[in-house]
Amino acid sequence: MRRSLVLVSVVVLGLLTGCSAGGDGSASGKTTLNVAALEGGYGRDMYAEVIQAYEAAHPDVEVRLQISKSIEDEITPNMKAGRYPDVVVLGQGRKAALTETLIKDKALEDLTPVLKAKVPGENGTVGDKLVAGIVGNLNTNPYGTEQTYTLPMYYAPTGLFYNKALFAEKGWKVPATWEEMFALGETAKKEKISLFTYPTAGYLDSFFFALLADVGGEQFYTDVMTYKQGVWQTPQARQVLDITTRLLRYAAPTTVGYANEQDFTKNQQSVLDNKAMFMPNGTWVVGEMADAPRADGFQWALTPLPAVTEGGKRYITTSVESVWIPAAARNKDAAKEFVAYLYSDAAAGIFAKANAIQPIKGIVSGLSGENAEFYKVYEDTSVSALVGGFAGTPPVEGVDIKGTLFDTANSIISGDKTQEQWQAALNDASEKLRQAGS
Amino acid sequence: MTTSSTPLPGSADRAPRRRGNGVFVLACLLPALVLFAVFMVVPTLNVFRMSFYTWSGFSPDMRFVGLDNFARLLDDAQFVRAFQNTVALLVVVTVVTMGLGLFLAAIMTRQRLRGRVLYRFILYVPSVLSVVVIAAIFSAIFDQENGLLNGTLRLLSLDTLQRVWLGDQDLVLWSVAIAMVWQSLGYYMVLYMSGMAGIPEELYEASALDGASAGRQFFAITLPLIWQNLRTTLTFFVMSAVNLSFVLVRAMTGGGPDGSSEVLLSYMYRQAYTNSSYGYGMAIGVVIFAFSFLVSLLVSRATRREPLQY
Repeated sequence: MRRSLVLVSVVVLGLLTGCSAGGDGSASGKTTLNVAALEGGYGRDMYAEVIQAYEAAHPDVEVRLQISKSIEDEITPNMKAGRYPDVVVLGQGRKAALTETLIKDKALEDLTPVLKAKVPGENGTVGDKLVAGIVGNLNTNPYGTEQTYTLPMYYAPTGLFYNKALFAEKGWKVPATWEEMFALGETAKKEKISLFTYPTAGYLDSFFFALLADVGGEQFYTDVMTYKQGVWQTPQARQVLDITTRLLRYAAPTTVGYANEQDFTKNQQSVLDNKAMFMPNGTWVVGEMADAPRADGFQWALTPLPAVTEGGKRYITTSVESVWIPAAARNKDAAKEFVAYLYSDAAAGIFAKANAIQPIKGIVSGLSGENAEFYKVYEDTSVSALVGGFAGTPPVEGVDIKGTLFDTANSIISGDKTQEQWQAALNDASEKLRQAGS
Repeated sequence: MTTSSTPLPGSADRAPRRRGNGVFVLACLLPALVLFAVFMVVPTLNVFRMSFYTWSGFSPDMRFVGLDNFARLLDDAQFVRAFQNTVALLVVVTVVTMGLGLFLAAIMTRQRLRGRVLYRFILYVPSVLSVVVIAAIFSAIFDQENGLLNGTLRLLSLDTLQRVWLGDQDLVLWSVAIAMVWQSLGYYMVLYMSGMAGIPEELYEASALDGASAGRQFFAITLPLIWQNLRTTLTFFVMSAVNLSFVLVRAMTGGGPDGSSEVLLSYMYRQAYTNSSYGYGMAIGVVIFAFSFLVSLLVSRATRREPLQY
């Protein structure tokens, strides 16, 4: 009897410990670097190739890659148990908001030294190779200080996507100011084409960030992003909401009904079908809708938001995927070296082949096809790149300013909320976050 | 464990053996008990504990805030909305599913409908489908342009009844409710059918001789005799509906448009995992726990009857 009891206990213990097994595997003397990456539109092969190249140059390092379309779900259980990956390639703005959470927690490693470090096998530093303005913003320096915590991995312009062929066919001009935009909206209405749509309200991020900067300049944009007191009650904020509300009146009637994760591609389809003219999106939409049917001669194009006044400065929100190192990572030095390597010419070449464009000087000139068309916006001198997002604060229960800013668009279109309610809710959320941050 | 009711002389020497049995039973139960404790009891207790803290989910610093999280819930308009939505879904979906389930079960068992095996099969299929598939099916049904529902309405020249089923804030919750009913109806119908099959035929024959109509038979014979069955399923249903509403809402609408189809669990998920307010999410979890518990208790109390014998 006693023996059977022992047996049972052994089985139970075995069951319990079995789940938590999984060692470091560094007995061979090699440093094991755990790299976790989001499998985005660029695929996974490019990472395998880069890692292969890195291991060839660094025989004492073994890189283990964990890659998935929902990488957050796969690494967070281990992170909660204290086992952190060494390098994570994952941007902000994801639904799971893992990067944001770690920023709020101050749980990222300071990467300022990496910027000053030489790229392995090259003479220049990482900082020298990066295009101007891509670091030093709230995206890379989330606390508004000199310290850089995330490095920009790939960058892509996000703006209003449209069908170039439709404009050529109808003889329309891409609007340069909002007045022209709304005039075009009236013209298009007669042809039963809606001026605007969005896949889901979350895609309005690029729209709002650019519009805030267009209306009030970069300082105003930063004020909004850092929750300056009363910023949503300023005339500029009012103007941003005025323009948006006016634009939403021209939204395709199907927009709200399809603005969910199940149906958002149907909103994108309405642009392909020439039923809607503009939608805020990113360069990934080309690949995402590659197999979808489309109007004859359809040709993707991208424009920044129209200017507020004629000849006014325009901004193009630039989406940036980031790479960062958790402060709790085990092999931080090896991780930093690996991150620096990601900016080497060898790595950049591999990434660029998969259409993952890194913010490295001179890379854009080598692009072809649609990418060349999209990245051309950066050559326009009246257009500046805008990077960043809302500043990180300690979490505030029940307050989600992105939700308040973007999702309310659905209620504005359907008439369930007024612009005044929107402004009041934004002011309220911003104020709560400001108090939490100070 | 088996002991005879009449103690035998010399039963004293059986005592050690009985203890031996006890140890063996305990040893057999132990794995299940350990697993139950580790995966059910401890996490549940943790939910309660965490609801008193503010914590992002990762950082080492957890701050004890007492009942602050709960106090904040009362001011959170989005939470109140999610709560209202949950209650509305629970009431409507439960009443409709149970009512329709009973009705269909009664028809299938009592009316000897031709092709009832086929009907039963068809009605049961949804309950073996994954929720994601159901969400995809209903996205096709509710599609505002080429959807089955609006298409049918167009065909019947009822164009004025066409709606944006998943985009209208007043309708979206009921669209989700329809999907929930569709998913669970067959399962409960089959449960009731099995309950009804156990009722002796003589009762119906006797009542028929007394001139009872089918409706009268249903309320005087069928319903009282499957009452215990009904009570159990009702409690089950209330609890499973809370979960089902979450998965369906997440897959179909994501809580939108603008939070109008948010339910308690989806809001808890949003707060705990995407708004980095784990403690607050757990406070919502505690509310859900208390709410489900209370509703089940109320349902169980309200439906208590003397079990009928036949």
